[in-house]
Amino acid sequence: MRLPRTLCWLLSCAWLLACGTERTCASDWCGTIVVVSGAEPTTLLPPLTEFDVEIAISDLLFVRLADIGADLNTVDPATFTPALARSWRFDDSLTIRFALEPNVRWHDGTPITAEDVAFTYGIYRDTLVNARARQRLDRITSVEAVDANTVVFRFSSPYPEQFYDAVYHMRILPRHQLAAIPRAGLSSDPVSRDPVGSGPFRVRTWVVGESIDLSADSTFFRGRPGPRRIVWRFVADPAAAATQLVAGEADFLNAMRRDDLSSIEGSDDLRVELVPSLAYAYIAFNFRDPEDRTRPHPIFASRTVRQALSMAVDRQAIVRAVRGEYGHVPEGPVTRPLWIWDASVRALPYDTTRARRLLMQAGWRDRDDDGVLDRNGRVFQFELIVPTTSNDRQRSAVIVQEQLRRLGIVVAITPLDVPTWIERAQNGTADAYYGARTQDPSPASIEEAWSSAAIGGANWGRYANSEVDRLIRRAIETFDVETARASWHEAIARINDDPPAIWMYSPITAAGLHRRLENVSIRADEWGSTIWSWNVSPARYIDRDLLN
Amino acid sequence: MTRFVALRFLQAVTIIFLVATITFVLLQVAPGDPFSVRMEQGGTVSTELLEQHRRNFGLDRPLHEQYVRYLQRLARGDLGISFAERRPAWHAIRDRLPNTLLLAVVALLIDFTIGIGLGVTQGAHPNSRLDDTLSVVSLTLYSIPIFWLGIMLLLVFAVGLDWLPAGGARDAVAYPHLSLLGKIGDRLIHLILPAVTLGLVGAAATARYQRAAMLEVIRQDFVRAARARGLSQRAVLIRHALRNALLPVITIFGLSLPILLSGAVLVETVFSWPGMGKLAVDSIFKRDYFVVSGTAMLSAALVVTGNFVSDTLYFVVDPRTRRQ
Repeated sequence: MRLPRTLCWLLSCAWLLACGTERTCASDWCGTIVVVSGAEPTTLLPPLTEFDVEIAISDLLFVRLADIGADLNTVDPATFTPALARSWRFDDSLTIRFALEPNVRWHDGTPITAEDVAFTYGIYRDTLVNARARQRLDRITSVEAVDANTVVFRFSSPYPEQFYDAVYHMRILPRHQLAAIPRAGLSSDPVSRDPVGSGPFRVRTWVVGESIDLSADSTFFRGRPGPRRIVWRFVADPAAAATQLVAGEADFLNAMRRDDLSSIEGSDDLRVELVPSLAYAYIAFNFRDPEDRTRPHPIFASRTVRQALSMAVDRQAIVRAVRGEYGHVPEGPVTRPLWIWDASVRALPYDTTRARRLLMQAGWRDRDDDGVLDRNGRVFQFELIVPTTSNDRQRSAVIVQEQLRRLGIVVAITPLDVPTWIERAQNGTADAYYGARTQDPSPASIEEAWSSAAIGGANWGRYANSEVDRLIRRAIETFDVETARASWHEAIARINDDPPAIWMYSPITAAGLHRRLENVSIRADEWGSTIWSWNVSPARYIDRDLLN
Repeated sequence: MTRFVALRFLQAVTIIFLVATITFVLLQVAPGDPFSVRMEQGGTVSTELLEQHRRNFGLDRPLHEQYVRYLQRLARGDLGISFAERRPAWHAIRDRLPNTLLLAVVALLIDFTIGIGLGVTQGAHPNSRLDDTLSVVSLTLYSIPIFWLGIMLLLVFAVGLDWLPAGGARDAVAYPHLSLLGKIGDRLIHLILPAVTLGLVGAAATARYQRAAMLEVIRQDFVRAARARGLSQRAVLIRHALRNALLPVITIFGLSLPILLSGAVLVETVFSWPGMGKLAVDSIFKRDYFVVSGTAMLSAALVVTGNFVSDTLYFVVDPRTRRQ
């Protein structure tokens, strides 16, 4: 049998050749972190980034003027950490003056100046670029370079999050590289995949569909990065990604599925780090009749019915069943990392007796004894659309269906692929949709989803409550932190009292990581932003740490 | 022969045009669009921003206008823009195509080497214990879902024994530091599990076809005549029986390519193999119109080529077709 012998020989050679790697790091600064990620970026240019992985990687390539503090406070500039801006001051209520770090350079050696900051603002505001953060900068009227190291931001009106808006949404861009590129073509220009940055890392190679290799910039102005190299591997299947971690081929997986966590329990090499999430999932009611969208919804127009449904669902049990210890029931459209979060906010309890009573009050009872509530000849039945990409939402929808069945309510679950699900939810052709939102650190993101100003935008169910609108606006405009916090609580309690949705669960992210990684901290809003400061313990270097 | 090739070429162009049109129409009538998926997590993407994106890429124009522009671009060899990757669709496909071809070719080699070997062995010993055992093995392999086989091989050889890598087409960390030979070795090592998974399932089917063909041929007079001339069993099987029994298997060679391409999607997912199948499926869910139609056209071209090659081989191997 000549072939198998030849094959064995070939494979043995391949094996030996593949194993014969020379170690290239001989200094005291080594360390390679392999991050495994479910998605691959489509761009690395910050104004174009939209997805988690794009933001995480561009966080390592570019810097902001200042970084938000660990408490994610958006209204107190004192809690922010200087980054590209060494200091700042309010000239008056409408003007912030930033002094930039002197002698900071782009990775190609060009100095970073105030002109770059003014140019960055222009890019983010350009409709042809269509940056995700464009509308967040609406109230900034101009950004002007006073001299090489001083830049002034001017606002149309004073408000508590002026500083946050000035520094959080924009990462400073290289004017000298981007100015000549037509704005309309920026997203498809090769530079969007290979930009010149100023952050702790720079791109060494990008093998499409496989990995991005980042090497540390030892001269980074905020200090030498912890690891010398970060390799981002793209593994679309969550189970395959977890396998890579378990097999020792990766060091960090941002969000592990509950099913995969058991594979690293008791591991000598791996551990889990829990991170509170800014995401929450909810079953939103459609306030329009799907059959005639000019009319109110025949069931959900009633506040009493919506309250009853919220009280009829045992969300604690659902979170336990679906997420285990990796989730909790949100106290409204607010997540724990937000500075306004408070567990004592008034919310509707799980109370099936009260739910039945409310349904009776609203005229829903089982008149024909078929086990289903009815009113004026209409049975209490509604369609709930769920995206097929979310296992948690699909599994919990089935439990909701069963819990509501016990009250005589029929829920027809329709799983849909994401584009179809979005189209139906957005156009109001389903009775209810199982959605999820990821907030940014500003509580104003509540207004973007649940105020009447958001109808036509993210408020797909077209929920409108003028009192809620007024309370949210008041909270947003309040300067005093404690008064603002109280105003937010009042607004959330009012939303809970007239619920636009059933607040189902907020996940706690379980990140899997190698034990040799030290100084690990993960920010809830941007998990990639701190990786540059992690260390690889020299005492626990493994082979790949010495390959830089 | 020239007429045969010209006819086949015309057929290929027609098929590819039809595939391009059908995928364009199907994707356009499907709900959702390339930009709506960005709202899945309900972040801060506003409807106004999405409308702006649609205008920027001409998706707000009437369907017939979009179709005409699409055909005009195709005629110029331009597949369009990938909305998801923000670059020419061809670049997205081009980056994955070599991996897909490499995987398909090696899997085909495994498929036909093992499949023909098993089929010949079974055909040479019909109804023996060996034949029964190999039948059970090949039917079992054929019945196993390909993704399950992949996961099992992964768990055994990558996680359990740690002999082979758990996924990817190369070692992302060590690859830049390897010599040329080392890089070749690294690619081969990463290719083993996905190619064996894909090839084994195909081999099971090929073995069934080959066994049936061998049984058909081995009973014929010319084989009996060869034996009567005192030729060895090996010479009878290889030189006389197998050459004739290969004809039906050559036909399924052309059909194997589309099966391999569809099976590759699952294998690419399990082994994180950066190929075209996974790109095509992801692009469908992202409504990345031009990547979907590009991959569909390319797959059609590969299938047409596969069929052309098998027809040509048939033409070469079987003298009767040449006379016709």
